[in-house]
Amino acid sequence: MGTFRYVLRDTNRLLFRHWGLSLLTLFTAVAVFFLVGSSALFMLNTRYLVARVESELLVQAYVKNEAQLQTVADKAHKIPGVASVRWVTTAEAMERLKTRLKGHAQALTILGENPLPPSLEIGLARAVLAPSVARELLAMPEVDDVIYAGGLADKLARVSRFATRFSMFVLVIAVTASALVLFNTIRISIYSRRDEIGVMLLVGATPTFVALPFVLQGMLLGMGGALGASLLIGGGYEALVRGVEATLPFVQLFRDPSMLLRLGLILLGGGITVGWISSWMAVERFIRRALRPM
Amino acid sequence: MDVRISGVTKLYEPDIRALEDVYLTVPKGEFLYLVGQTGSGKTTLLRLITREVMPTKGQIAVGEYNLRKMSAFDLALYRRDLGVIFQDFKLLPHLTAMENVAFVLDVIGVPPAEVKERTGEVLERVGMWRRRFLRPPQLSGGEQQRIAIARAVVNAPSLLVADEPTGNLDTHTAEEIMQLLLSINASGTTVLMATHNQFLVDAYRQRVLELHMGRVVRDEKRGRYELDGDF
Ligand SMILES: Nc1ncnc2c1ncn2[C@@H]1O[C@H](COP(=O)(O)OP(=O)(O)OP(=O)(O)O)[C@@H](O)[C@H]1O
Ligand SMILES: [Mg+2]
Repeated sequence: MGTFRYVLRDTNRLLFRHWGLSLLTLFTAVAVFFLVGSSALFMLNTRYLVARVESELLVQAYVKNEAQLQTVADKAHKIPGVASVRWVTTAEAMERLKTRLKGHAQALTILGENPLPPSLEIGLARAVLAPSVARELLAMPEVDDVIYAGGLADKLARVSRFATRFSMFVLVIAVTASALVLFNTIRISIYSRRDEIGVMLLVGATPTFVALPFVLQGMLLGMGGALGASLLIGGGYEALVRGVEATLPFVQLFRDPSMLLRLGLILLGGGITVGWISSWMAVERFIRRALRPM
Repeated sequence: MDVRISGVTKLYEPDIRALEDVYLTVPKGEFLYLVGQTGSGKTTLLRLITREVMPTKGQIAVGEYNLRKMSAFDLALYRRDLGVIFQDFKLLPHLTAMENVAFVLDVIGVPPAEVKERTGEVLERVGMWRRRFLRPPQLSGGEQQRIAIARAVVNAPSLLVADEPTGNLDTHTAEEIMQLLLSINASGTTVLMATHNQFLVDAYRQRVLELHMGRVVRDEKRGRYELDGDF
């Protein structure tokens, strides 16, 4: 009990004796974790966007005549990567055109007989599969022509890969930076108390006991940084989503409170872990050296 | 605790021979003066016992502990049973006299109530109770010395190691400190005291071990100070 009280009092003292340093470390940690959280959100949004576009990406196969729709549909189902097949008869194609033209629909009467070809709308499991699916469809004798947003699929895949890599890069840089800053702060704390630590070790304090306040200090700073960043991100992202919705209604941002909460928890866990590991490394090294006899 | 040193040689650097083939056995409860000229190896010998220094050759054991081979945890346990008065006191300047003493008990997990009681007792014993709220920079050399002693004995050590505990003190204060060490010894604690104080060694006769250039040159049951290297 006495031990516990002493450690807490000591941690408190460490944090507030060098409050300027603590504050600086805290700010740095907040900035770093904010960066990590933001890049994670950037990645999530990119993936969300890609997934949405992907689900809307259709390959349109025009069939020579309506009687062959069934045959082509059957064959299309067997192509790997095809998620859905939908018939569009000539009549339906005309209906669609009419609704799109709204008031000007009567203009269509001048066309006389319906000239629109029947087609199949094929949904894909993954956008990258579009070219190969299109190729197989085009190879069928019943198919006249195939249309799809060619380069788009490729671009989407590239954007998605880039977003993932970018946020991984940010993660690595940020974790390294925060670990270094925390490590140094703890080292300065240790250095400012080296006489005390020396006496503690000489009178029989265990290494764990000596290390504990410093490790707690590191964990609290890491946690504080992550907490600050999570709150900033939580509030900032809400505002961003609302702002975007008001000004750019066609852009839809990823929005999932449980995901945000999970991101916050991950940041918090990350902050505590980084604080723990870096402070432990700093203090363990110092104690080992201090205990080594000449 | 008893001390058993056998065949210990300490080289700080290949050419600095601080101790050479030292054999020394100190039974439990004994009082031993360690004398010798400056640089003869007294501090080195005491630091072997606190395990701040590792012998280059030879064995050293204190009580049940083999100092050549011990874990960090065992070292902590060993040091709890060891009282050390450093030549330079090593008091923490930002703590009060009382806190400096209580610190030792705090960091080994003694319950607060007991810390308070034992700290009070020992401060009374060294005559520093009234000045307990002063910090080391506000205390005189002799007063700091007393706090250092209080800190060394507050955990009732089995072995007390003192490196020139009367270093810069006048004869009167030195004698008071000596009385204190003798009373601690009387309660069963083994005491090893390195000293240059001829007056004390001759007035309070105890076993004397003399070092000269790192070698034991004299070991007398109730010896006097007079150094071999003096002529
Ligand atoms: N850390 C060290 N590195 C190198 N040499 C050292 C070290 N510590 C002590 N020595 C040398 O070892 C020898 C013995 O030193 P020690 O401090 O044990 O002497 P001492 O008897 O305590 O002297 P004094 O009476 O002045 O305190 C001296 O020659 C000293 O210079
Ligand atoms: Mg010395």
